[in-house]
Amino acid sequence: MNMLTVQDLRKSFGNMEAVKGVNFSVEKGESYGLLGPNGAGKSTTINMITGLFPPTSGEIQIKDINVIKNPKQAQKWIGVVPQEIALYQSMSARENLKFWGRMYDLSGSELEKSVDQVLEIIGLTERAKDKVETFSGGMKRRVNIGAAILHKPELLIMDEPTVGIDPQSRNHILETVKRLNGEGMTIIYTSHYMEEVEYLCERIGIVDHGQLIASGTLSELRETIGDHSKIILSIDKDSSNLDGLAQSLTSLFSEKDIQIQDHQVMVFHKEPQLILTDFIQSVAKSGTKITSVDIVEPNLESVFLHLTGRKLRD
Amino acid sequence: MKFLWLALKDLILVARDKKAFLTLIMMPLLLIAILGSAFGNMMKEDEEVSIKKFTLGVVNLDQGQLSKVLTEEVFSKNLSKQIAVKYYQENELNKKIQDHELEIGIVIDKDFSQSLMSGKGTKVQLITVPDTVIKATIVQNVIEQFSRSVPIEAFVSQMSQPVQAGNPGGIDIESYGKKPLINETTIDAKTKPVSSFQYYAAAMGVMFLLMTVVQGVSTMILEKEQDVFNRLLLTNLTYANYLLGKMLGLMVICLTQAFIIIVGTNLLFGVDWGPSVSGIIVMTFAFVVNASGLGVLAGSFIKTEKSFSVAGMFGTQIMAALGGSMVPLYVFPDWAIYVTKFFPNGLALQTYLDLMSGAAFSKILPSIGASVGLGLFFFAIGLMRLSLERRGKYA
Repeated sequence: MNMLTVQDLRKSFGNMEAVKGVNFSVEKGESYGLLGPNGAGKSTTINMITGLFPPTSGEIQIKDINVIKNPKQAQKWIGVVPQEIALYQSMSARENLKFWGRMYDLSGSELEKSVDQVLEIIGLTERAKDKVETFSGGMKRRVNIGAAILHKPELLIMDEPTVGIDPQSRNHILETVKRLNGEGMTIIYTSHYMEEVEYLCERIGIVDHGQLIASGTLSELRETIGDHSKIILSIDKDSSNLDGLAQSLTSLFSEKDIQIQDHQVMVFHKEPQLILTDFIQSVAKSGTKITSVDIVEPNLESVFLHLTGRKLRD
Repeated sequence: MKFLWLALKDLILVARDKKAFLTLIMMPLLLIAILGSAFGNMMKEDEEVSIKKFTLGVVNLDQGQLSKVLTEEVFSKNLSKQIAVKYYQENELNKKIQDHELEIGIVIDKDFSQSLMSGKGTKVQLITVPDTVIKATIVQNVIEQFSRSVPIEAFVSQMSQPVQAGNPGGIDIESYGKKPLINETTIDAKTKPVSSFQYYAAAMGVMFLLMTVVQGVSTMILEKEQDVFNRLLLTNLTYANYLLGKMLGLMVICLTQAFIIIVGTNLLFGVDWGPSVSGIIVMTFAFVVNASGLGVLAGSFIKTEKSFSVAGMFGTQIMAALGGSMVPLYVFPDWAIYVTKFFPNGLALQTYLDLMSGAAFSKILPSIGASVGLGLFFFAIGLMRLSLERRGKYA
């Protein structure tokens, strides 16, 4: 059963088309990642799904509700974690959660119980009475998530929930999301951190320039680049004959599988151990000094690079 | 119900903001004290040092000789250096004073001469605009002195005549000095003059309430910028609930500030806000509805705090200046005074001045109605704006 269906979604701001015909669906209980660089159109897509922005055209359905026609009805099923910290800084964590709970029509003992549960989930029971302004960035992000799950939504949409926080808080948030998903909550997780999406999401959609350029499980996406690993040779900073080096490599490998940038020479290959020796010898013959060798298994970064010619964080 | 929680949240945020709290409560009291003291001394000195020649409007309904003596001999001739007399019909005089074309006038009763001669006491209606205490006192003293001297002269004159039976001329000498000779009143119930301190207490009060609304609207716009507004819209909160909550929060903050200003100026500085407590309470509520309505209207249109900080600052200053918070309304031409009634602060200030002058509750009902009506109108436009903005996005 589909929790969310998005069909030919488009959004224009004046002459600029921010989202260009996006299609995807998310099943109930699934965790779906939207991966893409900043400005790719992820947040605009999310805002339309939540009913905050209307699309220029297209269809969005949550369960059997048309979001465009009945946004308020659809919003009852969803919880949204915005990219920014949307909390009241001079109120405590508990006061914030109670306020947002009331906005979702919770009251009385149901509200109290829900707030206690959420505080436990986000690991802030001990700090419940402290003002949010005294929290670290990571703790604020946790309250930001807590405010979205008070009403026990079936679909939780998280827009870059880990931006600018310490590794410990990031791990806590990732574990929390994993736990919620394990309890049956459907998750849509947008990020430009590929490792988070890889860790959390069963299926992933890659967004760039307002388009969904690839979608599938991690292994399916790896297949799109032929499951190629990446051999990275770091070279001396004084190496000057890079053009000659590139020319000599093209005699061994296809041009699209070679990249030279930032004092690194990279080659993509399905079986790196078979070409490693030739690759190193070829570079060394060109008079370039090698400082290190690294082999990277195919990941979302390489998929994105393969699909767009750019790094995710460019 | 959600609007109540929204309003409560706003109140908590203000209460915890020490800077806002001080600005809302302490600043108005300080400024009123400073301005009131400064202007109070200045105006007092003005009145003591120079009483320039002024015009006295006279309506003489009496056909007798004594009123002619009073007006033509006493005021026109004997006091010609201080007073110029002009004669009017009663309604004409009222209008002149109402329009502030004339500051002071008297209406001499039709039985003035007869009553004075018979010692029954008489009535002269003294009509003034506010802040003419000295001039009114001069005119009042002249009339009282004249009224007391006439029967004595008549008595002496009759005593020199052959004795007749009974009380000579029917004059009751003992009753003089006890009966009120002057019936002082003002047009539009402005029975009492408004002092400079009273004026600026009201003027600064409405200006600070306006500033409080601006501050509240800034918070509302800041919420939009911080994504909190979007998050609110993703809950079950409707636009109507949102705006109602914002307006209610603003109103409670403004009413608290108004209470402190009114009670504070009264207790600390002895400012008299007029005899109608109910009038002050209801008008304050009406003004707060009006100003808060205008505030949420602005908040529904403006999207960035940066643009509002400029518009808000200029808007408040312009409204305060035109509404009489900086320069007294009395120096404005009539049409300008009328136009400023369309500003929440202008209408409120003029109504407060009426109340301070002794206007009854019934007299200010039109102002209350207009104020509340405008506030609700602003609210409705704000609500339409939010709804249409969303529909527009779908188009």
